[in-house]
Parts: sequence; structure tokens; C-alpha cells
Amino acid sequence: MRSPFAYTPRPGPLQSASPGAAVVYLGALVAVAFLYSSPPVLIAAGIGAALAGHTAGADRAVRAALRMGLSLALLIVVVNALVVNRGETVLLRLGELPLLGRVDVTAEALAAGAAIGLRAAVAMIGFAVYSACVDPDRVLRALRPIAGRSALTAALISRLVPVAAADAARLRDAARLRDPAAAPLGRAALVRRLTAGSLDRAVDVAATLELRGYSLTRPDTARGVRGVFKSRFDGRFYAAGAVVLLAAIVGKLLGADGFHAYPTIQLGVGPATVAVAVIVALSGLAPWRRNAPRRRGAPRSAGA
Amino acid sequence: MRPNRRTVAASALLCAALAAAGCGVGPGGEVGEASLTVSRDFGTERLSPPAAEAVSESDTVMRMLDRNATIETRYGGAFVDSIDGLAGGRRAGRPHDWFFYVNGLWSPVGAAEYPLRGGDSIWWDYRDWSASTRVSALVGAWPQPFASGYEGERHATAVECRGGGVACATVRARLGDAGAELTRVGAKGAIRVLVGPWARLRGDATAATLEDGPGESGIYASFEPDGDGYRLTGLDRGGEPARRFGRGAGLIAATRRFGAPPVWLVSGSSPAAVRAAAELLDGADLADRFAVATEGGAETPLPIPVRPPR
Repeated sequence: MRSPFAYTPRPGPLQSASPGAAVVYLGALVAVAFLYSSPPVLIAAGIGAALAGHTAGADRAVRAALRMGLSLALLIVVVNALVVNRGETVLLRLGELPLLGRVDVTAEALAAGAAIGLRAAVAMIGFAVYSACVDPDRVLRALRPIAGRSALTAALISRLVPVAAADAARLRDAARLRDPAAAPLGRAALVRRLTAGSLDRAVDVAATLELRGYSLTRPDTARGVRGVFKSRFDGRFYAAGAVVLLAAIVGKLLGADGFHAYPTIQLGVGPATVAVAVIVALSGLAPWRRNAPRRRGAPRSAGA
Repeated sequence: MRPNRRTVAASALLCAALAAAGCGVGPGGEVGEASLTVSRDFGTERLSPPAAEAVSESDTVMRMLDRNATIETRYGGAFVDSIDGLAGGRRAGRPHDWFFYVNGLWSPVGAAEYPLRGGDSIWWDYRDWSASTRVSALVGAWPQPFASGYEGERHATAVECRGGGVACATVRARLGDAGAELTRVGAKGAIRVLVGPWARLRGDATAATLEDGPGESGIYASFEPDGDGYRLTGLDRGGEPARRFGRGAGLIAATRRFGAPPVWLVSGSSPAAVRAAAELLDGADLADRFAVATEGGAETPLPIPVRPPR
């Protein structure tokens, strides 16, 4: 089974956009998550990123990222509550624990952990949409004139992950086809097999990349840079990214990030916070296409 | 599905273990009363009336401060940046910040990590730290640390009489009245009180840090050689000499090195000066002072007060 994060070509605006435009757009949403601690704005950034994924048709990637992101957020909340004693509102006293010392679970530490977890979840959704919607070949082609070796290294890394996922799926399928009475295949055995074959697979991938021209020297600029891709949707994504970043920076200066977990929870939700949250959330509609093309296999209307 | 007996027994055992480990819901029960003082410029100006309130099992220095003042923190709530709007930073080109003391001792851990006990005396002071980043001990929390101890433990007190004469008896009496548990000289873990003229005290390694300036000792005073004796000089908050006292001047100060028990100095240029210094051992004369000099019956706080920058 394909990884939900693997790039899937679709005729949507985000998939058609140039890598630069897509990176600016999705990067702006992730940047908001790192600029702000305010939960309303973080939630808005999450909604924006999820909406972007949904309108671009990457629902599987968004769902998978949400699952992983929220699990990670929960873990961060628990760890933060156990290791940080700060905060005025003590909810639970767990006494002296080995390694941790005195542990008081406070509402403030839970809130601070939730904000950090939310930030991590938003970043994961943003990267998942990027991974599912932005053609890695185009990204690497765009990067190659700037840093050839780095592009090759990045290509190897980005290609190896889906290759390993595909290998894992094949191994799992093969295991299912054994005798039904056979012992179930554990994750550890699967990881061991994948790790053992990773070097061979890396060489395979490198050879394939070489055949596809990654080893060639920098293109002759006198003849023009070949393969530089532009799309009619680029302007939309550059504009959406710029608006989000501008709103985030101006909002920050106007005090839209009014959240302090310590020493007591303070959450300021003023007009600036609401405005930034609305702009960030609505930016998720940027990949929307009014006349979306019919999906393959969909029934045609009579007479068509 | 009904839980089986093993599950019930395991749950009961876990609850009992947690209860035995001091676990519970909420801040916990009261453990006594603690006092809070907030001042600026080495205690020369109190910013709010002293507060005393009951503290609970889970209380920390930060939690008590937060209940009694409006504070802003940095570094994830670990560092107090401002109290009642007075924020750390540079004033008149000098670095200023908030420092706190529990029972007269600079804390080795942050305010958010320092658990409170009944009887603790907390003092927050906003001061210039250009001359000394670490004033490790001060005298203004009298009768602490003698009465309740420090860092969660009560410690006995050893009075080391080094030519102090009758001043030593005065010091012992005052300490006894304050609730100190007196012990023999050299007792392990005891708070040391050195009593005697500076010429005798300077042989002690901890006391001798006074001659290295406030950066080492945290005491804004020094004894300068003067003929066959020493004379006390008071330093200002920048560590510069600000007042030269006469030969009858006495000093009460406290210092601490490398996590060892604190050392109090009751000293002066002469035996008479030491006697005068010993008479200062009470709450009225030491309250809100980092250290005190006395001359001719008049007390002078140390560092020598100058008009602070606003």
C-alpha cells in the first residue's frame, strides 16, 4: 500500500504550482505555527493546513498527519506535565519520583504542553500536505542549479523513504501469503529486514537517479535553464503565503499572540488574534478549484 | 464487565503506594506559614508591605510570589522578569534584576523549583548586580537561618570566638534567644558565626574573601590596613569605596562559599567595635539589610545607599 505521504500526481492547483510557490504557501502556514503560541492561532493554522490538504485532494495525508500529530501532541502534554513543575494551579501531586524528583502536575504545564503539541501537529500537517502534493522531482530540479550535491543527497533521502515504505508493504503482503498457521510477522523483524537491505536499495535508487540525469553538471545558463517550471497558479500561492506571513508579523506586533502559560494561564483573544486566525484559516482555501476535473471512473452525464 | 479481584487488589495497592509517596489531588495541606518581602536596591526600599501566609505542601517560592504580586516570567516560567511592573534590564547603564533569598541565603535552584516550608522567610530584591552577580548570604532575614534552617533542613550553629571577648557571650545569648541550636566549634554542617576583630578573623578562608571584594564575598565592605590595625570601608552598589569608617566601626555580614554552611561575621576594627557589632544582633537592626556597619551607635546599611536610578 502506498504511503499516505507519498506524492500523488493530481490536476489540482497546488500540484500544478511551481515548487517555490508551494513551499512559500505551505511554509507560511508552518511559520505561523512557530511564530505563535496562542492556541486560537495555532488551531487556525492547523485548520488552514488541513483545509489546504483537503482542497488539494490529499485527505489521506491530512488524516495520517492528524493522527500522528495529535498522538505526538498528547505525548508532549504528558511529558511536559511530568517534567515541568512550574505553574500556580496544582492539579495533582505525584510525590517524589525516580529521576524526575518532586512532580506536581499543574494546569499551566498542561496548557504549555498542549501549545507545543499543537505546534508540532500543525507542522506535521503542513509537511504532510507538502509531501503529498509537491512533486519532489520538480523541487530537486529547482534546487539542482543552486546546490547540485545537496539536491542529490536530498533526492536520495526523499526517495528512500517511499522506497522503504513500498518494500515494507511488499514484505508484509508476502508474510500474509504464508501458511495461515505461521507466526505473525512482528514489526521488529520487518524493520530488521528493511535495515539490512537499505544499503542495496540506496544503491539502486542512486543508480536510477543517475540514469535520470541527477549526475549531470549544472545546466548551461547561456542556453537558458531547462526545466524551470512555472504555473498559472503560482501567483495565487505566492500571494496567499505573503498575506499569511504579513498578517502573522503585523498581528504579532499588535499583540495577537497573547498567550502565556506561566506563572498562570493568560489567553488574550482580541480583534488582532481573531483577524490573524481568520486569515490563516481561510488561506487553506488557496488550492481550491472552482471547476474541479472529474475523477477518473466517475459516471458521465447522459449525452456527454 | 466486572473487574476481577486481582485488578481491584492491584488498583488498591497502587493507590496506597501513591498515597504513601505523598501523592494527592490539589495543592495539598498546609505546612505552616511563610513570609514574603519585596524590596529594591539592597533592601533600601520596600515595594509592598511584608506578607505572611499559610503555605501548602506543593507551594514554591514562585507560587507564593505569584499570589502576592503581579509577575512576568521568562524562559518558560523559570525566571522572574518583573514584579509589579518593575522589570530587569539596564538602568543608568547598570544591570538590574530580581534576586531571591530564602532564610537569608541565595538559592541554588530557581524560584519555581524551590519548595517552601513553614517558617521560611522569602525576600525578593531588585538590585544592581554590576559589582557582584552573587550575593550568597545576607543578614536581613534574622533570626533565619538560625531558627528554621535552610534548604529544607535545620542546622545547628557554632559560635567561633576569635578574640571577641564579651561579644561572644552576647552573640551566644542572642542566638539562643532567636531559637538557634548551639553546638561545638567544628561540628559538621553547622552554621558558623565568627566573632572577633578583623585582624583575627581574616585568617579564616571564608572570612578572607571579604578582602577580595564583593564579587567574591558578596559583602559590600572591606577592611583596609591602617597603622597596626584595620579600618572598615563601606562600598557602594557598584563596589566602589563610598565611606571610610572610624576605628570604632563594627560589621555584621554573612557569606557562603561553594554550598558550604553560611558564615556570619561579627567583627570590627577593635574589641569595642566587635562588641558594638554584637549588639546589632536583633530583628530591628538587621531587618531588610544585606549587611550592617555600626559606628558611634548609628547603623549604616551596606552597600552604602546612593540615590538609585529610576
